[in-house]
Amino acid sequence: MMEEDKIKSENPLKVNRRHFFSQLSVGIGSLALGSLLIPDLFKNSAGQIAQPTLGIPHFAPKAKRVIYLFQAGAPSQFETFDYKPILRERMGQDLPESIRKGQRLTNMTANQDKFPLMPPKVGFQQHGESRTWISDFFPHIAKIADEITVVRSMHTEAINHDPAITFFQTGSQISGRPSMGSWLSYGLGSENKNLPSFVVLTSRGKGNSQGLYSKLWSSGFLDSKHQGVLLRSGKDPVLYLNDPEGISRSDKRHLLDQVSSLNKLHHVETGDDEIESRIAQYEMAYRMQMSVPDVMDVSKEPESIIKLYGEDCQVPGTYAANALQARRLAENGVRFIQLYHQGWDQHGNLHDEMEGQAKDVDQASAALVMDLKQRGMLEDTLVIWGGEFGRGNYCQGKFDPNNYGRDHHPRAFSIWMAGGGIKPGLNYGQTDEFGYNVVENPVHINDFHATLMHTLGLDHEQLTYKYQGRRFRLTDVAGNVIKDLLA
Amino acid sequence: MIFESYIELPALVAWVGRWHPLILHFPIVLLLIGIFLGLTGKKVPKKLLTLAVLTALITAISGFFLGRESETKGNLLFWHQWLGGGLALFAALWYGLEGLQLKKPIYSKILQIVLLVLILFTGHYGGMVTHGEDFLALPVNKKEEKIPENPLIYAHVVDRILENNCVSCHNANKQKGQLLMTSLDNLLKGGEVGNTIIPSDAENSELIRRLHLPLEDEEHMPPEGKKPLDEREIKILERWIALGASDTLRLNQLEDSEPLVALVKGLMEPDPMEKWKNLPKVADSTLQNLASDYLTINRIAINSDALSAAAFLPPEYDPQYILNLKRVAQNIVELDLSGLPLGPQEMGLVAQCTNLEWLELDRTPITDVEIDTLKNLSKLRLLKVYDTKIGDKGVGVLKELQSLKSLYLWKTNTSQNVLDDLKSTRTNLIVDDGIDDEVKEFFIKSDSLVEEQ
Repeated sequence: MMEEDKIKSENPLKVNRRHFFSQLSVGIGSLALGSLLIPDLFKNSAGQIAQPTLGIPHFAPKAKRVIYLFQAGAPSQFETFDYKPILRERMGQDLPESIRKGQRLTNMTANQDKFPLMPPKVGFQQHGESRTWISDFFPHIAKIADEITVVRSMHTEAINHDPAITFFQTGSQISGRPSMGSWLSYGLGSENKNLPSFVVLTSRGKGNSQGLYSKLWSSGFLDSKHQGVLLRSGKDPVLYLNDPEGISRSDKRHLLDQVSSLNKLHHVETGDDEIESRIAQYEMAYRMQMSVPDVMDVSKEPESIIKLYGEDCQVPGTYAANALQARRLAENGVRFIQLYHQGWDQHGNLHDEMEGQAKDVDQASAALVMDLKQRGMLEDTLVIWGGEFGRGNYCQGKFDPNNYGRDHHPRAFSIWMAGGGIKPGLNYGQTDEFGYNVVENPVHINDFHATLMHTLGLDHEQLTYKYQGRRFRLTDVAGNVIKDLLA
Repeated sequence: MIFESYIELPALVAWVGRWHPLILHFPIVLLLIGIFLGLTGKKVPKKLLTLAVLTALITAISGFFLGRESETKGNLLFWHQWLGGGLALFAALWYGLEGLQLKKPIYSKILQIVLLVLILFTGHYGGMVTHGEDFLALPVNKKEEKIPENPLIYAHVVDRILENNCVSCHNANKQKGQLLMTSLDNLLKGGEVGNTIIPSDAENSELIRRLHLPLEDEEHMPPEGKKPLDEREIKILERWIALGASDTLRLNQLEDSEPLVALVKGLMEPDPMEKWKNLPKVADSTLQNLASDYLTINRIAINSDALSAAAFLPPEYDPQYILNLKRVAQNIVELDLSGLPLGPQEMGLVAQCTNLEWLELDRTPITDVEIDTLKNLSKLRLLKVYDTKIGDKGVGVLKELQSLKSLYLWKTNTSQNVLDDLKSTRTNLIVDDGIDDEVKEFFIKSDSLVEEQ
C-alpha cells in the first residue's frame, strides 16, 4: 500500500479515474464526511489497491498441487464407471418418459422418434475393497480402485463441448474468465520460480475429437503471468525459449540486463504494472532455458518407471509421455498441470473407439497415481480424471447393438479423483437405475471447483478479483464444498 | 367505537412500554443527585426531588407495560419488576417525608441509603434482562472442554452446540418463545410453536426448519446479529434428530457409514492451526529476504507463523541459501530438500528445525550418518528418504520417531527383514517401500502398446 502510494506520488500518470476522484475528495469536506459515514467508501475504489496479500492460502491446505487428466470429448459413464444392468434387461426398449421428463436434448438426437436403451458392450467388475464398479476397458485403473474416489453424480448445465469444457475450466460457459489453473496460480503463487505455475500438455487419441483452444488456459482478466504455458512435445517444448544459433548464454544475460534497464526507465515514466510483469517474465524465461529441458528430459527415468507407464511414454506427445511428464513437473513444484486427451466424443462406433481411447490412458493414468503414491506425493497432490459431461443411456441414430453411439448428456456423469486430501476408495453419489438423473449427493461443477479449492487451502468465496467494478470468483455466485469427499 | 378503543389500547400500552429503556435513565440520575446531596448534608431542592419521583413513577409504569409483552417471566424479570416497583414506592415515600419536614434527618438518610441500594439492584437486574445474565461476568477464555474419546451424542456434542449458540436466549431466565433449550426434556416439550424436535423426523422439526431459513428471514435462528450455526453443526443436529434424538446414543454405537460419525469426528479433531499458535513471530520482510529464485518460503496459511520451505537446485550449488533458514528454523514445519547434493552442513540445519512435521530428503546423497541428526525431530509426521543410501542403522533411528506416520524408503540399502520388523513394531506407521511387485508385474505384462504389436 505504501509503495503504491509512493509510486503514485512520484508518478502522476499512474492515477486511474477512481483514484483521481478519491484524491479529489480530500479537498472536499462533504466527501470526507461521506467517507466517515461509510468507512469503505474510498477504500476499494482505487483499482487494485485493496487486493489482499496473495501467495498464501486461507487455511492449512491438504493439497499443494493438482494434476488434471482431462478426457476431452466426454467419455461415456456407461462404459467407464456407472454400471447399469437394467440397460441390458431393457435393451432396445424406449427410455421411459418418467425418467427423461421432457428434458432438452441436443439437436443431434432431439428429433429421434425413439430413444432405445443401449447397454454397454464392455463388461463390468467390482474391484478392490471399495467394491468399485469399473468397466473392463480399464484393467489398470481397476488395480488402483482403493486409491481413487469415483464421483458418479457430477452434473452440468452445458450440453455442447465448447461451453461445457469452458465451464469446467473457467467456471463459466462463456469464454473470457480465468482458467482454474490461473486462479490457483493467482491464489497460491508459484512453488518453483523457475517454472510456470500452470502448465498444459495435450495429446490426441484416434477417437472422434473436438477442438481445444488456448482460451481454456487463458488467465482472463488476471495478470498474464498466471496464464497456462503449453508445453509441446519434441525439440522445443516452449516455442522460442531457446537462444538462436550463435548467441551464448552470457550474451543473452547482457541483452536481458539492457532490456530490463530500459523497461525500468519506462516503468518509472508510466508506472504500468504490466512492465514489471514483463521484466519478471523475461527473467523466468531465462531460467526456464535451464529448467525446462531438465524437467522434460525423461531419459534419466529408470527402466522400471518406463515399464510402469508403458513403453508409450517414451514416444513424445502421447498421453503416457504426458502423464510421466506431469509427475516430473509436479515434483518440480508446478502448481497446476493440465493434461488434455482428445478423442472421447463417441456419437457412433462407440465400443471400438472407446477401447482405443481407454488403451491410451488406462495404464498411464493408473501408473501416475501409483508413482505419485510411492513418492509420497499423493499426500499433497490431487489427481482428477474426467470429461466435460456424460453421455445418453439411449442409442443415437439407428439401433444397432454392435455399432452404436451416445449423444451428450449433462445431467449425470462420472469422474474420479485421487490423493490431495480426498478420501480414498469412496463411491460418491448415485444416479437412478437408468443412469439418467442424479438421485443422491449431486455434485455441480461449482461444487467441484469449491471442493478442489478447499483441498488447496483456499476459500472459494474469498479468492476474488475485482474487474470492471465487480468481484469475480471461480465459482461465481454458487458452489458448496462437498465435505463428504474430504479425507 | 368502544370496540375500537378496546383494540387500540393494548397497542398503545405496548408502545408506552417501549419508552421504558429511555426514561429509566432520568430517575436514576436525578435520584442519585438527590441522594448525594442528602447524604452530604445539603438541602435537596424541591424541584429536583419532584422531577426525580415523577420520572421514577413513569419509569415503573412503563416498565410494567413492557413486562406485559414478554409472556413468560423469568426470575430476572420478576426481581427487576418488584425491585423497580419498590424503588418507585420508596421514592414517593421520601417525597412525602420531605414534605413533612421531619426534625430527625436520620430517617431521611436511611431512606436514601435504601433507595441507593434499590437503584443498584434494580439497574443490575434490568441490565441482565436486556443483555443476558453473563454480560458483566469476567471474560473467561472460551476454553472448550475436550470431547471425550467415545462421546454421548446428546450430552457431549449436541448440548454443546446448543449451549454455544442457543441457550443465551432460551434459558430459565430468558425463555424466548417459551422455549427452554437447557435439557432434552425441555427440547422435546418445545416452545410456543411446538414441534421443536420431532424424534426421527428432522425435516419437520421446527429447530431444523429455522436453521435452514435464509439469514434475512425473521424466523431464522439464531436471530440477526448473532453468529449463525455452521454447516457441520446444523448437519449434526439434523442427523441426531433423524436417528431419534436419543440421550443415550454413543459414537461407537453408530455404523461407520453413518454420516454423523464423520461429522462428530470432525468436531473432535483439534484445529490444525492451534498447535502452531505459540511459534515465534516472523515478519513478512524476513521471508522476503530469505526467498530467492531457488528457495520458496511461504506461510502454511495466512496469519500463521508456521512456514513451509522448498529448495530447488540452482545452476551453481552453494548451501548458504539453505543455511540462511537458520533464522526461522523454529518456524519451519515443512521442508523440501529433495534432489539436492546435501552434506553435513545442511543436515545440521535440518536438526535445528525442531518443529518439523514434513521432511523431504529423497534423491539426496544422505546416509545413515546424516539420518542420525534427525533423532530429535519429535514432531516429524512424514519423511521421504527413497532413493538414498540409508541402511538398516538409519531405520533404527527412524523407528524411535514416535510421531512418524508415513515413511517412504524404497530404493535404499535397507534389508527386507529390518523393514518387516519396522512394520510389525510400528503398526501405526505406513512404510512405503515401493509399488507392490505383483502390481508391477501386471503393468509390465499388460502394456497396452506392446500388446498391440
